Amino acid sequence: MDLAFSPEERAFRDEVREFIATHLPDDIRRTVQAGDHLQKDDYARWHRILHEKGWVAHNWPKEYGGTGWTPVQRHIYYEEIAYGWAPRLLPFGLQMVAPVIIEFGNDEQKARYLPKIHSGEEFWCQGYSEPGSGSDLASLSTRAERKGESYIINGTKTWITAAQWADWIFVLARTDPSAKKQEGISFILVDMKTPGVTVRPIETIDGGKEINEVHLENVEVPVANLVGTEGGGWTIAKFLLEHERTGTAGIATCFQMLEQLDELLERESVDDRRLRERIASVEIELEALAFTELRTLAAESAGKRPGPESSILKIKGTEIQQAISELALDALGPYAERHLAPKYFNYRKTSIYAGSNEIQKNIIAKRILKL
Amino acid sequence: MDFTLSPEQLLIKDSVARFAAGEHAGTDKWPQFAELGWLAIGAPDDLGGFGGPLETLILMEQFGRGLVVSPYVSQVVLAGTLLRLADRTELLGRLVEGEERFAVAYEEPHARYDAAQVATRAVRDGDDYVITGDKVRVLDASTANTLIVSARTGDEITLFAVPADAPGIAREPYAAEDGYDVADVRFKSVRVPGASAIGPVGGGLELLEHALDHATAALCAEGLGLMSLMLEATVEYTKQRHQFGVPIGSFQALQHRMAEMFIEVELARSMAYFAAMTLGEEKDAVARRRGISAAKVQVAKSGRFVGQNAIQLHGGIGMSEEYKVGHYFKRMTAVERLLGDADFHLARYAAARGAKGAKTQAGTPAPVA
Repeated sequence: MDLAFSPEERAFRDEVREFIATHLPDDIRRTVQAGDHLQKDDYARWHRILHEKGWVAHNWPKEYGGTGWTPVQRHIYYEEIAYGWAPRLLPFGLQMVAPVIIEFGNDEQKARYLPKIHSGEEFWCQGYSEPGSGSDLASLSTRAERKGESYIINGTKTWITAAQWADWIFVLARTDPSAKKQEGISFILVDMKTPGVTVRPIETIDGGKEINEVHLENVEVPVANLVGTEGGGWTIAKFLLEHERTGTAGIATCFQMLEQLDELLERESVDDRRLRERIASVEIELEALAFTELRTLAAESAGKRPGPESSILKIKGTEIQQAISELALDALGPYAERHLAPKYFNYRKTSIYAGSNEIQKNIIAKRILKL
Repeated sequence: MDFTLSPEQLLIKDSVARFAAGEHAGTDKWPQFAELGWLAIGAPDDLGGFGGPLETLILMEQFGRGLVVSPYVSQVVLAGTLLRLADRTELLGRLVEGEERFAVAYEEPHARYDAAQVATRAVRDGDDYVITGDKVRVLDASTANTLIVSARTGDEITLFAVPADAPGIAREPYAAEDGYDVADVRFKSVRVPGASAIGPVGGGLELLEHALDHATAALCAEGLGLMSLMLEATVEYTKQRHQFGVPIGSFQALQHRMAEMFIEVELARSMAYFAAMTLGEEKDAVARRRGISAAKVQVAKSGRFVGQNAIQLHGGIGMSEEYKVGHYFKRMTAVERLLGDADFHLARYAAARGAKGAKTQAGTPAPVA
């Protein structure tokens, strides 16, 4: 048993820290630190900087421009991103659709899409959920009808982060309505500029406008935009969800949030034993989760795939994020600070997205406890 | 980053697991522990010692899983660490050989786990000290040959080794709710030679706190074993037990509860390892306090949740004295509170946290300012 980072890993940490300190634009750092929303241009600028350094594609094979990092290096990188108040790049292109194209796509698709995802030239968004299909994603009703060399797509996709900026959307659509629920689904890439695609922003309870509804009305898409086989979309969807779930714990960010909370209490001279112990209590759970993440990381380093244990990280990580935002709100009382209430309201989303925490408990019960 | 056990560690695990799976209740197994070498964990090489906090964790987790309620923590981990830190090699040697049994008498009435709250006094008289005061809930007091007692020498606290049958000592033993042997001990003008001080005069509290942290880490490992077994028993039971024509484990209300129990066990597992690692790295006292108290809070909270729900999900059978889960629950309830409950350790953690320092998390460095 050896629970320490190796000298190479520590050197890598220093390198990442140094790079962020010297290359992250100040205005972006300030925006992240303040908890304000980033704009498209902020993401694009930071993407270009990381792209130049070769640090964008963490879960791609090396031959496609992946970083070739070990799981531990990836972990270190994300910690340093959080500690340096750098944004995480949007995951929809780099972390979601790209691994799908690499795993299931053909050579033309790889050549067409991957370089522009890598460079940040094209933004992506995710067309999964529908108004009638959330946790039960396989019940989706968006229809893609084959017509010659095209699909005609009709339906509504919802809760789509960054759709207002996106050049492309990957869509799960039903190509065979007569097949069994999971079997008639296909994974199709849609250019957002195609006639019939409209984006409607959904304002959230925190006042944010980061999510959208996307309507697809008689949207004509070349058959060449199908990834994998027709009807093979469910396999891809599951593959992608597994990629989505890792990295939602945000542990380093939580440590940062706690530190900000400490600073806030100090600045406002709040000294309350009960509150201090509540903060301590959350921090202990966070320590426990951080160590749990290291355990899953060690397993991954030993060659195991990220298993259902990552559900623990999702559930507890989001609970802790919410608890910290709640503590900040409680610390100062009503109407205290401009950012606190929106952040608290916004963080309610975390236990809903990427497979609600209740769905995660189903996964633990079925796949780990075999109930 | 590697969490796999070494061949030596696997050997300990297997031999303890074999023992724990057998019949072990009732008779005194101490000579057997000595023979198997388990009393030498953490002792220096020249006493035949080996291993450290991780080996202790491995052993205690298996003890927990097998419901081996033994004096191991009080003897080897608490008294043993005290003697090791104080370089009392001869006494430690007798402990390792299984020849001498100890009881650390540190807690006082109304002290609520706080080792610094000491009213017992040791007054200097020529070359001797004369000790007077009351200690409560002293583990293994009735079987001990030697008591290690904390007492005030002036403003500071000093530890003394006192023969258990010295004139002026009165022991009132009783069995705790989990069957453990404890006693309240009164010291009335007990005379000991100056040489019986363990560690430096006035340096007792630091020693005691350090040794208590080792013992607390060991209890965390036992708690982990107890709760992991309770979870497994509960999952198994809900697969067997049928109501409404189906296994009750097929109901989502119960599945989610067990998923929550699973999460608690895994968080406790992380913190039990974290505690052992904190001790292994010989961190400074503040970081050590913080790490150990964090672990105890997590294990106590997780253990309570898992224990209570193990009983609940078993239904009536969980209440039955004949069935094993109730006994695990009772031991877990003791482990939760032994050497400080969740409230005590939360306050201790919060205090250590107030003393701003580096984060305790393994690889997590202090962030860039």
